[in-house]
Order: sequence, then structure tokens, then C-alpha cells
Amino acid sequence: MAAASLPFDTVLVANRGEIAVRIIASLRKLGVRAAIVHHEIDAAAPAVALADVAIKISGKTPVSAYLDGEQIIAAARAAGAGALHPGYGFLSENAGFARAVAAAGIAFIGPTPEVIELMGDKIRARNFVARGGFPVAPSAIEEDDPSTFLARARSIGAPLLVKPSAGGGGKGMRIVRDLDLLDDAVAQARSEGQRYFGDGRLYVERYVEKPRHIEVQVLGDAFGNVVHLFERECSVQRRFQKIIEETPSPALSAKMRQSICETAANIARAAGYRNAGTVEFIFGGEEFYFLEMNTRLQVEHPVTEMITGVDLVAEQIAIAANRALPFRQSDISARGHAIEARLYAESPERGFSPTSGKVLMLDYPREQGVRVDSGIAEGQSITTAFDPMLAKLIVHAQTRDAAVTKAIAAVQDLVLLGCETNADFLARVLGDPGFRNGAVHTGYLDENPEIASGPNDAPDDVTRFLAVAALVTRPVRDAAEAVPALHAAIGRWRN
Amino acid sequence: MFHKFDLGGITRELWLTPTATGYRLNVLDAWSGPIALTDEGTGRGRLTVAGFSEAVAFVVDGDLIHIHMRGRTRSLRYLDPLRVLASVDSDGGHNVARAPMPGTVVALKVAPGDAVTTGTVLMVIESMKLETQIRASQDGIVERLHVKDGDSFDRDAILVTLLQGT
Repeated sequence: MAAASLPFDTVLVANRGEIAVRIIASLRKLGVRAAIVHHEIDAAAPAVALADVAIKISGKTPVSAYLDGEQIIAAARAAGAGALHPGYGFLSENAGFARAVAAAGIAFIGPTPEVIELMGDKIRARNFVARGGFPVAPSAIEEDDPSTFLARARSIGAPLLVKPSAGGGGKGMRIVRDLDLLDDAVAQARSEGQRYFGDGRLYVERYVEKPRHIEVQVLGDAFGNVVHLFERECSVQRRFQKIIEETPSPALSAKMRQSICETAANIARAAGYRNAGTVEFIFGGEEFYFLEMNTRLQVEHPVTEMITGVDLVAEQIAIAANRALPFRQSDISARGHAIEARLYAESPERGFSPTSGKVLMLDYPREQGVRVDSGIAEGQSITTAFDPMLAKLIVHAQTRDAAVTKAIAAVQDLVLLGCETNADFLARVLGDPGFRNGAVHTGYLDENPEIASGPNDAPDDVTRFLAVAALVTRPVRDAAEAVPALHAAIGRWRN
Repeated sequence: MFHKFDLGGITRELWLTPTATGYRLNVLDAWSGPIALTDEGTGRGRLTVAGFSEAVAFVVDGDLIHIHMRGRTRSLRYLDPLRVLASVDSDGGHNVARAPMPGTVVALKVAPGDAVTTGTVLMVIESMKLETQIRASQDGIVERLHVKDGDSFDRDAILVTLLQGT
């Protein structure tokens, strides 16, 4: 696929961090110019340096700049961009933005605004999927009849999951195991929904105990062709945020895999889905329920790329250029096992609280079969202005066991000094016997808090860290030099 | 003289003594033995402790020493004796509420001059998607608010100063 065959020669990347770097990599491969918008705070970020054109945008907060559709479309025009890639988060699932981009004569690299409206809204998506005869969990939707909402929620029975309808990424979600606490959970979820999404509408659904999060990657083109690229399992989560993702899922039999993947492709087909999307399911026991559809590229898309060899971003661009999918379902095969670990600026040992600092030393593993998608560079400041994800380490091996071993080595080889990260924790999760056996679920880390808190350092390790600290701290060495060797040999009794 | 380092909230006391070939590390009540660090430049080297040597990466940033060794990363803080004394002195009669994590002020719940009791919510902060209430750790009068609505701050930043007792 050469650039000459595409109807545009420049694409605007309307995102930041590792995903902006990732998108630029595919644009390069296709011979397309990369333009990028950025807030001042990201001026030193690798994505800005990699782009052919960088345009500054501003806002009250850094995040608000990346949410300012008008500025971004103006930047796309100024850069002469014929298409715009929204990445994930920010405006990627905003139908109004997708519409405005198209109205400006720029191809939006994503689904149509109508499909974003249908599948991006949890309630509409769920109703649509249920009407199509696909499996959904029992639920109560507030806006069906607000006056009976709580009663309908109660009648589903505990445990329940309360969610903001406009939400995503786990924000505002509450699990209710005791129905007496339902009113409080509803009030809190409403306030958080209002704060994060400007929308206090809620819905409640049956919470599956020990649920596993399994999602399916789909691709659809403008000609009605839809394929799936197998599943990803993302059950290792904290507060509904994914930490480790893998494919294939160790939980699925071959028959179940085929069933869940075909269901996802059929849902996408029913929605007239175009571009890359992900259908998420809750899997428990031997059943799965539709959870939601993400109408964009996912953070964890690289594991799918590792086992299928398909460049999902390049396919997204080709689809937006009105090209037909270059493969059929039977052409897509999976090879080996891939695992992704997300590097976050946070301290699992202190309740996952976010960390900040400056990247003083950064060195990624360079082993074969290890891919690093990173949005940071040495000298860059890590702030709490954005999502705390810094980079992703993705490994590929022939078997799951080999992939786990490789992932542990990759996480341990990674050197990032100056900002505390969750790297130690990632190694603990990957090395946990439950994870090794594939026996995890979305509540696994909550049930095993010792994985997050970690063991105390062994005395031998403490000695070694202290030895380095002592030798590189000037006043400590100076004090040692000030003591004549003879006295020092006798020890502190002479002091 | 002892030197103090904070490692994961625990203060460790140590001193170095010179030997013919390098240094001996003495960790109070814990360990004593020969150590050496070869600096291979740009913060990389090999640490030898009691004859066993391994690769280490490190960066010194003010009083913080960031170290990567054995697949793990630790940050130690050198507790400069002069600075420790200064901070005790200036906090006499005062009680400060520090930020448990970096974040942003969502809402101030008190004003200077307000009397508060242990547990009174002083302010609500937000860190990523978490809201946290900062509460008074003892009775007192709000002397000063160091931040205003919408301000961002780093971990350990002073948010509120309370004057103790009345």
C-alpha cells in the first residue's frame, strides 16, 4: 500500500504520548506525512519531535487543549491534512467531533458519527445488541423511568454494578453487594458521572462474580466486510483500569473462542461498523455477556498485532481512504502468545497513588520479541495532568509460559529513574502463581492485595541499595575521607 | 558520624570507613563489610559487596538517589542533618497537612482562622480519577492555606498549616 494510492498525503494525529508515536510509525511506513497537535507541556515529547509538522494548541488545562475540537480541526487545515487520527481517549469517541472533522472535508480515521453515537453510548449500544439477539447481562436503565430506577435495580438482586451511562475507563463505577448500600452508591456514581462526563445518567447491571474481561478486535470496511482478529483477555485490572493484557485468552476453549469472536464480528456487522473497533465481553463460568463496544483503537491493540502480523493502524488508515479490507476472515491466523504490560506513573505499594517527577534515565529492553510503545523520553517531566500511562511493554513468544517469562525479564530490564513507576508491581503480577496458571479475574488484585503492596526488601537487597547510595552521596564519602585510615580501622569507638 | 538515608519510609543509619582498597560500609545494627562501585559513566556501574558484583544504574538528583539493581528500582533520600534540624525548628507549634500524592485542589473546606478538630475535612483533592479528603490530624486553628481551588501540587507539598491548640 503506497502513499500514492491514498487520497491524502498528510494525516493529523490528534493525540499525545505513546499512541501518537505509534500512529506516526504507521504513517511513516505508508509514506504519509505526520502532523501533530500538542499542548505546550508536551513540547519535549517524542511524538512532537517525530512528526513532520507540529502545531501548538492551548487550553485552560492541558487536557482541555486536546479536547478542543475547533482548534484541532483548524490545525489539521493549517497542516493540509486530508485525514485525522484521534488515537484513543480525548475526542476519539466523540460523534460531534467526527462529524465536524468530516464537515471540514477531512477524513475521520474511525467509524461514522452515527455508529459512534449508537455504539459509544452504553445504553443505546446495549439495547441495540439485546435487540439483535446477542447476550447481555440483566440491567436497569435510569432514563427508561427515573422514578422506578432504584426499585428496578433492586429487583435484579445483588451483586450489582452501578455505572455512569456516558462513562468509560471505569470512572464512577461502583459494585454493590449489599442492597442497603445501593442508594449511596447511586449518589456517588451520579456525582462522579456529572464531574467526569458532564452527564449524571446511570445504569445498573448484574455484576458477574469473578468475571473475566475478554474483548474481540474487529475491522470493518466501507463495503460491508467485517472480520475479527481474535480476542484479548484484560482481566488483570485495578479499579477497572487494565494493567496486563494478553492473547489468546487462557480461559477460552477453542469452541468458546470461536463463539465469542463470531458474536463480536456479528455485532459489528449488525451495526454497519467501519474501521477498527473492539467488542468487550464479561466472561464468567461458561457464559459471556456483551459489555460495551469501543469505537476506536484500543491501548492494548499491539498484542493482536503481535499474533496476527496485521498493522491495525495502517488498516485503519486504508479503511478511512475507502479501500476494501485486503483479507478475509479465513486469511487471518494467530501465531504464538503475546502479553502487554502497562507502565504507569503510580505507586501500587501506596494504594496506586499517582507519582510525578522527571525522567532522568530511561533505557528500554531491546530483546527480540519485545516491543516497547513509549511516549516519553529522558529529560521529560511526568505530571499528573494526564493519564498516568507512560509506556507499554509487549512481548511475543511461542507459548504462554515463554511469553510470561519474557515479559518478566522485559519489565525487570527496563530502567526508568526519576519518577516512580509500577514496574516492580508488574513483575510481581506476571510472576504470581495465579496469573501463571491463568486463573485471574477482574477482582483478582483486590482479593490478593499483597501483590500490590509487595514484600519488604530482603536485608541483603537493602544493604546493596544503601551501598550504592552511600558511595554516590558526596557528604558520606567526604566524611569517610576526613577520618584517617588508622582511626577508621579501629572504628567508631574513637570518635 | 552517622549518615541517614530514607528507604521506603524507614530511616537507615550508616557510615563509610576507608580501607586500603576502597571502603567498608557500616550499616547500624545490620551489616558491615567491604564495598566498591566502578563507575562506567552515565550512571552505570558495577557494585561489589563482599566480593559479589552486579550491574547497577543510578542517578543522583539533589538529595534523592534513584537506583536500578536486580530488576528493581528504589529511590533513597539522603537526610541531610542540617536540613532535618531546620525543619523541626520551623514547625514548632505548627502542624502541617501535606499532600499524600500529587494532584489538584477540588474544593477548600476551611478558611484561615477557622477552628478545626481532629478529622475535620480541610479540603478535597483529586489525583487522576480519585477524590481524596484531606483531614486535620489534630485540633487547631487554620493558620494558612498554601493552595487555592484548581492549584496543582506535588507529593509532600504543604497544603495547610494549623496552629496547634488555643
